[in-house]
Amino acid sequence: MYFKYIFFLLILFNVAACSDKKEITYSYEGTFNNEKGGTLIDAMSGEPSNLISMIAGDSASSAIAGNIFNKLIKYDKNLDLAPELAEKWVISDDQKTITFHLKRNLKWADGHDLTSDDVLFTWKLVTDDKTRTPYGSDYKLVEKAEAPDAHTFKVIYKQAYAPALDSWASLQILPKHILKDEDINHTFFSRKPTGSSYYKLSQWVNGEKLTLEANASSVMGEPNINQLTSRFIADTSSQFLELIADNIDLMNINPIQFARVIPSRPDLKKKLALYKELGNSYTYLGFNLKHHPFDDIRVRQAINYALDKQEVIDGVLLGLGEPVSSPYKPGTRWSDKALYPYPYDKNQALKLLHEAGFSDTNNDGILDRNGKPFTFEILTNQNKQREMTAVLIQRRLKDIGIDAKIRVIEWASFVNQFIKTGDFDAVILGWSLSLDPDQYNIWHSSQQKPGQFNFIGYNNKEVDQLLEQGRTELNPDKREKIYHAFSKTLLRESPVIYLYAGYGLTAMNKRIKGIESPAPPAGIAYNSYDWFIPSTLRRNEITP
Amino acid sequence: MLNYLIKRLLWMIPMLIGISLISFFIMHLAPGDITASESAFNPKASEESRQKLRALYNLDKPLTTQYGLWLKRIMKLDFGNSFASHQRPVLWETKDAKGNVTKGMIQDALPITLMINLIGLLIIFSISIFLGVTSAVNQNKWPDRLITIIVFIGFAVPGFWLALLLMYWTGVTHSWLPISGLHSVGYEKMGHIAQYVDLFKHLILPVSISSLGGLASISLYVRNGMLDVLQQEFITTARAKGLTENKVIYGHALRNTLLPLITLIGLSIPGLIGGSVIGESIFAISGMGKLFFDAVLMRDFPVVMGILTIGSVLTLFGNLIADIGYAWVDPRIRRGISN
Repeated sequence: MYFKYIFFLLILFNVAACSDKKEITYSYEGTFNNEKGGTLIDAMSGEPSNLISMIAGDSASSAIAGNIFNKLIKYDKNLDLAPELAEKWVISDDQKTITFHLKRNLKWADGHDLTSDDVLFTWKLVTDDKTRTPYGSDYKLVEKAEAPDAHTFKVIYKQAYAPALDSWASLQILPKHILKDEDINHTFFSRKPTGSSYYKLSQWVNGEKLTLEANASSVMGEPNINQLTSRFIADTSSQFLELIADNIDLMNINPIQFARVIPSRPDLKKKLALYKELGNSYTYLGFNLKHHPFDDIRVRQAINYALDKQEVIDGVLLGLGEPVSSPYKPGTRWSDKALYPYPYDKNQALKLLHEAGFSDTNNDGILDRNGKPFTFEILTNQNKQREMTAVLIQRRLKDIGIDAKIRVIEWASFVNQFIKTGDFDAVILGWSLSLDPDQYNIWHSSQQKPGQFNFIGYNNKEVDQLLEQGRTELNPDKREKIYHAFSKTLLRESPVIYLYAGYGLTAMNKRIKGIESPAPPAGIAYNSYDWFIPSTLRRNEITP
Repeated sequence: MLNYLIKRLLWMIPMLIGISLISFFIMHLAPGDITASESAFNPKASEESRQKLRALYNLDKPLTTQYGLWLKRIMKLDFGNSFASHQRPVLWETKDAKGNVTKGMIQDALPITLMINLIGLLIIFSISIFLGVTSAVNQNKWPDRLITIIVFIGFAVPGFWLALLLMYWTGVTHSWLPISGLHSVGYEKMGHIAQYVDLFKHLILPVSISSLGGLASISLYVRNGMLDVLQQEFITTARAKGLTENKVIYGHALRNTLLPLITLIGLSIPGLIGGSVIGESIFAISGMGKLFFDAVLMRDFPVVMGILTIGSVLTLFGNLIADIGYAWVDPRIRRGISN
């Protein structure tokens, strides 16, 4: 009669399930003073792979490593270069030598001194052929690097290289005294790092969570929040449930949650603050310029006129994005305010297509030229926003008599079978860019071999020249002129059609205070070390 | 019997080689390799460094050479290291000269998946037997119909949908159960008993959801088996002897019904190490399902091959155990093997 026991067990299940959590109500409003302490819990979709960021490539790793390690210089809230480990840097007159002067009394979290020797060691690592890093090429341009004394680090380039400063603002300095005898590719250090910045690793439970705690000997000063815990929750719906159940403090949300779900629920509005910031990426429709009829500038311009970008932003992002007219983040100095996206103009589009020789001779509603109908395939990877974008584009193209088909492909196949082989008509993709304006790898005509990034086959002498100039000019004002001219040509030629730059959307529990809103150009996280959690708003006991 | 066992075990070797050969080549039919992962589509990452990586992992060699290298390693039970940038060992932990331990990926994921699946299996079988017997005894009456309808609804409902609804209802609306994960954030600071209670609470939803779909097939199996047995003459004899109905059903009929279930249990053994990708993602549990899925998406070949190899070994052993179990409970089969 063991069935009775099963019933009994089932009842036990229920009893255990009914132990209610006490309902705690916080009052989030009012003024609070800056306080130290507390724990911030966030959710990550992926688990970090390797905390040595020159080897890792994933965003989860760099997010964590950024709290542990320092760079020589950094981008400040307005995205200008600012001191970090180096208190100042000097560029020689021929623009080939950069000298970094390090701050005094820098310490690693284990108490050892941090000196220019560590910087030199890190440079040697990143340029070593044995190191499994995809990012070595920028640093290999350094002809000679030296550390004349403990506080000076000097690099000499073969020729002036403008993105150099950006590269030094992204290289995290590693401790020589720990790593000198380690194989950087297989070292315990990748999961048990010692850094110099605000936080140090306190615990990492594989597949579950990672906890950082304030580093007492941080070279940056002490952060307000004592402990950061990141839980690895792959599914964003589950993350959202955890957020509204008050178990995590912040997460990235999607436009529907931002614009519809949270504003319509007073209980959520009371405890969650919403932030939006422009990311450094944009989505585009790119053409294969080696295929007919996309080699014809009039056809590309026609399609640019035929697409209503605001419609895409409203439909796909619920208005939470901005149109772009250059491959630079709107609001930064590299983005030319005098450039505007192509307006939606169906007649202009048709006129250009007629000029290019297209007309509907057989009255089937599809334009044709030399007996061939204008039909092509738009490829994209499995990304909901890009798929929706493709559908809107398809409809607008149908309006002017172009028959576009959509094909959605898994990422690895997409890259290998279509991008690398150049076997595509048009793609919807995005570029996430570094903060330096140099885009030689993407647009220069020499970068078209399989696996390189000018896979659309863009070839323009004027652009090539501008890109070459921009790489060797370190003066920001002169660079600005160069890149504005480059953006202008690019917009006119329309090798790609810029669709939108979406906002990064964050929902944050209101217990976290000290966040700057509206977000500065660098985003809300730039001062996360000044965020604080008033003690009255902290979780009394940490529940799941 | 011993001869039979040895013969079966020896047969496994060519089978395993065949399985690994087919899996290896099918895996390589998918386009792309580790260097094509999404993060590698970064203008700062150069094609040369990707070529370097390919050479490092022998991905530039012909497929047959790659397979030979893999086979040579696996003979020494070396499952290798992941291609991902963490380079963790695929199977079991390693220790470096300074005593720093790096845990294996399967070592981390397998216990979690095994625990959930074993509990799930136990629940599925015990509830299914109960439901099946009840159905059979009440054939074509309302309890039978009700049970059939309920188990089929359980079978048909999409698990992820029900999971999210239950997570919302038990986790957000009522705060009865945790929403995701296996441990609370403050797990380490809890006492022993509190830790068990915590784990138990975290397991309720994932285990219930994963069990729900399995109820239908097993309970119908039991029901039909029971109906067959109940028509047999020895049941009539038992009733004629004047045994109570309980004794007839549970003492005589059920025992004979359970025979075919042994095969089912044997066949479930390989399934024990496979997790559900969707279930694990929703509940934020890092089990075998997600490990395998992520490895396939990343084209992390050593991990894919490691899991496939262990899966096929377990499948072959599961079959063997099912056969032995059968022989053990059924004298007719035992005699057949000995001859």
